[in-house]
Amino acid sequence: MSKKVLVVDDDPDVRLFSVTVLEENGYIPLEAEDGESGLKMIKAEKPDLIILDVLMPRQSGVRLYRELKTSKTLKDVKVIILSGIAKKTFLRSQKALTEFGGAEIPEPEIYLEKPVEPDELADVIKKVLG
Amino acid sequence: MKIKKLLFVTKFEELGFDALRSLLTLRHSALEHVVFLNVIERDRVAMHRGKGYEKDEEIRLREAANIRFIDWSETLFEQGMEVGVYIVVGSLVPEVIKATQKEDADLIVIGRSHKGVLEQLYSGSDVTELLHRAWTPVLVYKQLSETTISVEEPFERPLLAIDWSPGSLRAVEYLKVLKDTVKEVHLVHVADEKDLKGPSAMAIQKTRKEARDKLEEICESFAAAGIKAREHVYIGDPDEEIEKAAKDCQASMIVLGSSAKATWVEKFMGSTPRKIAEESIYPTLLIPPERGEK
Repeated sequence: MSKKVLVVDDDPDVRLFSVTVLEENGYIPLEAEDGESGLKMIKAEKPDLIILDVLMPRQSGVRLYRELKTSKTLKDVKVIILSGIAKKTFLRSQKALTEFGGAEIPEPEIYLEKPVEPDELADVIKKVLG
Repeated sequence: MKIKKLLFVTKFEELGFDALRSLLTLRHSALEHVVFLNVIERDRVAMHRGKGYEKDEEIRLREAANIRFIDWSETLFEQGMEVGVYIVVGSLVPEVIKATQKEDADLIVIGRSHKGVLEQLYSGSDVTELLHRAWTPVLVYKQLSETTISVEEPFERPLLAIDWSPGSLRAVEYLKVLKDTVKEVHLVHVADEKDLKGPSAMAIQKTRKEARDKLEEICESFAAAGIKAREHVYIGDPDEEIEKAAKDCQASMIVLGSSAKATWVEKFMGSTPRKIAEESIYPTLLIPPERGEK
């Protein structure tokens, strides 16, 4: 059965790009435009993988990722971060949140800085989903 | 009424990251989320004669804004803050209102209006229109280059102008919860000369005493909330006296209640909040009344 992949990004062009890559590689794409609607969709659809942007309205990828990784039921969902925000910033922000009393959480499976080539994205999706 | 989330509206030339940095002392109170908004005015990209809609120009402007916001966001993320971004094509004020509602922001920060005199006469200034339409407090920020005062921490020593309007009384409550950010509040009531209880010295002193007594009660409520407060009564034109009081008190910001007056009234007759927001050298925080109040 085809695996479901949720793309959470506020930029419609990036969502279109990712959805096209997913469809061409036989996955079922799902879309959400911010962290808040992304979380609702994750709970409802239980995707196998999430391609997550960081800088978004309403709820950022930093907080959504933390919410996933600290949830008993959602912590095993695989995540690829695809963002214009540098990886070191993402890791430092998580560290800061841990220092402010949050739980320690693991690094994302893959961190890609925008822009990426379609082949590069397809390769990492295959790698993460096995 | 805590400031947990602020909407920072910028066109970049009038409001930069240094302005936002100066507001990060609000983190000591409750601030945890900053949302950036850049509105690309429609006339910069739309329907120029012989060109149609300039999609390439829109993309260029969006990306320029995006790169700037990524840079700013990285600094905030690394401090453990939550950050969001909107870059939209449209008209400034409606887009500010839309983003404020979507995000449920507690404070809107915006630069002074840069429209020309004629343009303001026809369409009103952005600030006037925003004050008329927003039910969220608005901080009109003045860049260092625009002002002769150096404001490193605008919320440190606010001057709160009290006229007993619902907005100004709401401002009292708004400032009270900022005890970890505000060091001292100066309260000023300006008695307009036409409101004096007669022309004699006695009448003027009576007006002053009554106002002072009422201000003292507010000072006590600030003290109970853990904020030092001092009261002042000035006599004269409110627009001028509030500015003088801010100088006398070495204030870092002016805080006023705004009313829900019709835009056309403000445009043609003016109002103290609008004038101070537009003309004062101080950052100006305008607190609207609760919905339904005037």
